[in-house]
Amino acid sequence: MTDTVKKRLIKFLVSLIIFGIAILIIVYNLRDNIVYFYSPSEIIENNQTGSQIVRLGGLVESESVMSDGDSIFHFKITDGQKQISVKYQGILPNLFAEEKGVVVEGIYMNDGRFIANKVLAKHDENYMPPEVIKSLKETGKWQE
Amino acid sequence: MSLALNYIANSLLILCLITSIIQSRFLFKIQDYNLFSISQISAIQFLSILVSFFILIFLFITSDFNFDLVYFHSHSEKPLIYKLSGVWGNHEGSMLLWILILVLFNFLFSISKSSSKEFKEITVAVQSLMIFGFVLFLLLLSNPFNINNENFNDGLGLNPILQDPLLAIHPPILYIGYVGFSLIFSLSITGLLTSEVDKKWATIAKPWVFAAWSFLTAGIALGSYWAYYELGWGGYWFWDPVENASLMPWLSATALIHCVVVLQRRNTMQSWTMVLAILTFSLSLAGTFLVRSGVLNSVHTFASDPGRGLFILMFLFIILSSSFLLFALKSEKINKPSSHNIYSRNTGIIVNNWLLISILSVVFLGTMYPLATDLIYNQSLTVGPQYYAISITPIIILFLFFMILSPQLSWGESKLLKILNEMRYILISCLTITFLTSLYYDLFNLTEILIIFLSLILIISSLSSGLNFKSTKVIVKSNFGQSIAHAGFGIFMLAVVSNAVYSQEKIYDAKIGSKLQLDEYIFDFKNIEQEEKDNFNSIKAYLSLSKNGRDLGEFSPEIRFYSDPPTITSETSIIHQFFSDVYVVMNVPQNQESISLRLHIKPFMNILWLGVIMIILGGIITAILNRKKYEENAIN
Repeated sequence: MTDTVKKRLIKFLVSLIIFGIAILIIVYNLRDNIVYFYSPSEIIENNQTGSQIVRLGGLVESESVMSDGDSIFHFKITDGQKQISVKYQGILPNLFAEEKGVVVEGIYMNDGRFIANKVLAKHDENYMPPEVIKSLKETGKWQE
Repeated sequence: MSLALNYIANSLLILCLITSIIQSRFLFKIQDYNLFSISQISAIQFLSILVSFFILIFLFITSDFNFDLVYFHSHSEKPLIYKLSGVWGNHEGSMLLWILILVLFNFLFSISKSSSKEFKEITVAVQSLMIFGFVLFLLLLSNPFNINNENFNDGLGLNPILQDPLLAIHPPILYIGYVGFSLIFSLSITGLLTSEVDKKWATIAKPWVFAAWSFLTAGIALGSYWAYYELGWGGYWFWDPVENASLMPWLSATALIHCVVVLQRRNTMQSWTMVLAILTFSLSLAGTFLVRSGVLNSVHTFASDPGRGLFILMFLFIILSSSFLLFALKSEKINKPSSHNIYSRNTGIIVNNWLLISILSVVFLGTMYPLATDLIYNQSLTVGPQYYAISITPIIILFLFFMILSPQLSWGESKLLKILNEMRYILISCLTITFLTSLYYDLFNLTEILIIFLSLILIISSLSSGLNFKSTKVIVKSNFGQSIAHAGFGIFMLAVVSNAVYSQEKIYDAKIGSKLQLDEYIFDFKNIEQEEKDNFNSIKAYLSLSKNGRDLGEFSPEIRFYSDPPTITSETSIIHQFFSDVYVVMNVPQNQESISLRLHIKPFMNILWLGVIMIILGGIITAILNRKKYEENAIN
């Protein structure tokens, strides 16, 4: 091996190691900050209670939306099989409506309620979050 | 009439296809065709697309619903400007716009005088090969001139969220940026083919790189400003996959513009410059088309069609594999042996290149990870904004440090102690300012204090290096563009951190006549009115804002109900003050008595946009600054 080749090999290996460590740190950090998405059936099945923030998606069940003032709302999210009661304080997005798709982000409590800190806004009436479509397809509730 | 226009438009597209084949002849060493000159054919190429683009505009303005595109994306009652923006508010139309800019750049380069005849011929040939690919894609898979046989009375409208003057100009500006890098890509391929990647190459490429970069920056900024006031979520950047898709090419383009400068000055870093040029264009391509193909899940995606996505992926694959193959074959030839001192500006720029690529990797992993888990584990998830904040902050601190240091280093050899000595006044004054402000505003977070401190030094040292104060005269130096852009970045970072720390938000269930309070601001909720407009009905709330008894203006947040297609949008109402924006969003009223209002205080937003404007200006100044001056400088 000539000197230049040796030098280059060392350079290459060193940068590979640095790059590898950087990627490891990034991925480690990534895993701490991912938010999983569940349908009501999945969240009950996995029993994902606790402090971890998750997303829950499905249809807003008809005649389930109630408000007790101070911008506090209660509603149920369903995927056709299971329902979850959701409590949310804040401004509901414009297109939030019964029997429409919705995605909420928050914590699934031990008592089976979901405390949402975010209701995700979508802008098109016909837009359905892909995750919701997927979970509705799995329960056979989705018609093309 | 419709049928005739359909024929004309399609013939023009085919004409463009033919001219592109003629133009790419130089790649295959066919030289005996001399009927028209290279710039004349480029002009035909450009005109054919320009005219067909005008035909599409004409169809939208006259609401010719015999055309599918007009039927699906327009409506006779739309205001004129939105009929116009409807032209590129959909997949097919935006493809045509993309191609229009592609041929425009080809034409502009073919009439430019900076390069040799052979170099120009090959560049135009490479560019024409790409034009051929895209026009073929347009004709086969997303033809904007498809005709239907029904007689529709009216169209299906345009998404009202896109009915916004800013959003009308955002795509063209962003596209000029994206497509500008196609020319840089062609120039790089030509450089590799002819083994001429040197000072001369950098001098030819430089104005184009800086122009494309400035447009890309402006395009991203416009999108961000739109999200800030239109979406009403209180932020200006959401780490949404679509935003990330435009940020990634920007990061690699930012690394690229610095490499081009190094290449021009020092004639080194040839390979790395080529890698960045290819990477930037690939990311631009992915940015535009993965967004539109619906692979990325986002509020921005319109329609999805797997066939189109597949074509773009194949195109991307061909471009990437062939250009990197070429690069592998030629990289030995273009690299000149070079030696530079470790304490030189080269080192600083290389370090910051690495840091930019690190940020790019963070963004890339964050964007792709959800796609990968969905494909592999069938598990949907999203990556929270915290991930980006935590990963990028330490990189930004290092980045700011080297951004301050590098311009102080000379191209040859520098003594670090000497620089420290020269900067002592700046350092001491910035340290004092940071200390006092953090004491005054109860700021104890070390990271935030460090970023503020470094940003301040960056602003002052950049501005003082671009201007020369000589008794009464202020002399603008040749690195003026750089100093403006760097100072702009410092101002931007300062605003980003202060904004993140001092933003406030509160939600009220308010009755008419009540007074709401947030920080020192008093919001007097006066009235609600209903109005009927041309293409929507609206509910408006009126509030007046005061602080310490001083009247600051009126808010009128609004909810709009559109009928075509049925959509509800909120219009935020913002009062801009010099140091902070105050803004109000209203909710769709759920009952008669009260209404939900969200109040925001967003400090330093004006300063943030000022920083961004300075960054863009810096790029434009550098792009148009006298090239001769640079050539003279390049010799030393």
